[in-house]
Amino acid sequence: MKLLVIEDDQATAEHVRRGLSETGHSVSIASDGRQGLEKASAASFDALIIDRMLPELDGLSIVKRLRATGNHTPILFLTTMSGLDDRVEGLEAGADDYLVKPFAMPELLARLNALARRPHVSAVQTTLRAGELEMDLLRREVRRAGKLLDLQPQEFKLLEYLLRSDGRIVTKTMLLEHVWGFHFDPQTTVVETHMSRLRAKLDKGHDHQMIVTQRGVGYRLVA
Amino acid sequence: MLRSGRLFNTISFRLAALCAVLFAVILAVLLVFTYFTTSHALEDQLRARVKDEFTTFSEEVDSEGADAVVKEIDERIVKPTAPGSYFFVADSSGHKLIGNLDAVPVIPGWQKLSASAAGRPAAETAHEVWGQGKIFPGGIFIFVGQDAYRVVTAQRSLVLAYVWSGLLAGLMSLLAGLVLSRGFLHRIDDINKTSLAIMQGHLKERIPLRGTSDEIDRLSGNLNRLFDSNQALLESLKQVTTNIAHDLRTPLSRLRNRLEEAHTGASSVDDLRGEIGAAIAESDQLLATFAALLRIAQIESGSRKKAFARVNLSELGERVASIYGAVAEDDGKKLGAEITSGVFCTGDAELLLQLIVNLVENAIRHTPKGTGIVLRIASPATIEVADNGPGIPAAQRSKVMERFFRLEQSRTTPGSGLGLALVSAIATLHDTKVDLRDNRPGLKVRVALQPV
Repeated sequence: MKLLVIEDDQATAEHVRRGLSETGHSVSIASDGRQGLEKASAASFDALIIDRMLPELDGLSIVKRLRATGNHTPILFLTTMSGLDDRVEGLEAGADDYLVKPFAMPELLARLNALARRPHVSAVQTTLRAGELEMDLLRREVRRAGKLLDLQPQEFKLLEYLLRSDGRIVTKTMLLEHVWGFHFDPQTTVVETHMSRLRAKLDKGHDHQMIVTQRGVGYRLVA
Repeated sequence: MLRSGRLFNTISFRLAALCAVLFAVILAVLLVFTYFTTSHALEDQLRARVKDEFTTFSEEVDSEGADAVVKEIDERIVKPTAPGSYFFVADSSGHKLIGNLDAVPVIPGWQKLSASAAGRPAAETAHEVWGQGKIFPGGIFIFVGQDAYRVVTAQRSLVLAYVWSGLLAGLMSLLAGLVLSRGFLHRIDDINKTSLAIMQGHLKERIPLRGTSDEIDRLSGNLNRLFDSNQALLESLKQVTTNIAHDLRTPLSRLRNRLEEAHTGASSVDDLRGEIGAAIAESDQLLATFAALLRIAQIESGSRKKAFARVNLSELGERVASIYGAVAEDDGKKLGAEITSGVFCTGDAELLLQLIVNLVENAIRHTPKGTGIVLRIASPATIEVADNGPGIPAAQRSKVMERFFRLEQSRTTPGSGLGLALVSAIATLHDTKVDLRDNRPGLKVRVALQPV
């Protein structure tokens, strides 16, 4: 992917650049808001990673200006601003995701992947498929190799999100945010509990494990 | 100590002084009035007597001639009919013909003569002679007077009484002012001394009350309450700071130890990776604690209040129950839900979700296996999480809401000790309190919110 990082702290910018380059992305860096806006407008990127507090022009303004000029490049805010309203403010300005520093590199990668490959126009799907797995969204039914699975609502939601992620890694926080609407870290094993239950039902009687745990990163659905 | 200079600068002294001045003015008006009315009345009596006599003489001069009158006056002088009567008769050239006065200016009309004119000794100045003179046809001048002793002494004693009572009243009001302001100053000094002591760190000092419930007592009472909350704030600040230092020190030193072990002890790359991975997990825990502290502070700032809206509590409860049923089950506990549908409240949905989650997680994490937990959403706008676990001793119920407070038995369970502090902050934001009760057995936590 071709990525632009707008970040004034050199160490962070370098850390992000290295992490993203290692996984095969090409990364440009802008060290202030004005320069960032110019670069983002001049060339086409697959995604933008923008800090909120920047010299010259703050991150929020950059996003607003880009969106105002019809630029729909996926944008992720990477910021220390962790206030309760900050995330909402960032998303309302037109960003697609919000990640608070300090962050884990796999988390950033997973989120970027989710953003960049997201179809711009989401066609209304009634069926989600992955290999021999089939989810009927209207009937709320899931079948593996034609056999109906008895899933609890929470497990159904979890599987739906995994299916929509199209084989990409999803992190624990992504699941908490998107499946359960938790914007905080629970103190219990919410994700693990539901994941293991779903996994047990999904893979029962099959040799092929469909849900793969990437240790310390997250989960992935393998067709 | 009180310095005298301050006495005169107090409000109560100034008030007393103002009263004294006002009193003096009223007294003066009263005195002037009585002086004039009294002396007028006395003088009028005297004039009337003089006039009577004079009229008699005038008529006699007209009917019997001046000589006859002179003769009669002479007799009257020798054998007075009334005490204190004075006469003086002079011829046309002004020479005294007869009279018991030495000299009288030959001026017609009313005159006041000094006591010496009546031949009195110098000491008896009060014996003035007041009278009327007239020049009759033929040039004869007759003066008839009366001893004005009573009038003059009455006037003098009035003036004297005025001066004395004025002086006394002034002195008394001054004294009263001093006493009042001394009392006032003492109490102000108490307030000053106490607040100074508190500023110097003696947080337990309080202003003594007199139990009179007057303004100063009420002020002192309010200030004492202010000092109470100040003390509570400072103590909780101190406690929080100590706790933060302590609770962050432990994971930080664990982190340090791990890194040290990795640095010196790791023999392979895999070892190193393992240790560093654990160190990262340790630092994540630290960051989570910071995030929770920050979140509590943000909630306490109250800025979220402006975004309050109608929140469907029943829906939140259903959601939490359906998410945590499995979590409780995996942990060997049972989570039941008793949710009345259509319960709404005014508040922040995201924070209320976290409140319910924290309460449920708390019940799951701090109870033994086999414990039954119930999440209730009831009308009007009440959230309740009850369990039949070991509960919390009554004495510690208020403490568990404090930051970093952890019961002895839960010291070993992982966690930041901030879960209930966050619940408490969210409840406070919603203008309510977290009510902890005995569930006989177990703990019942109830939060009553504002119904829509």
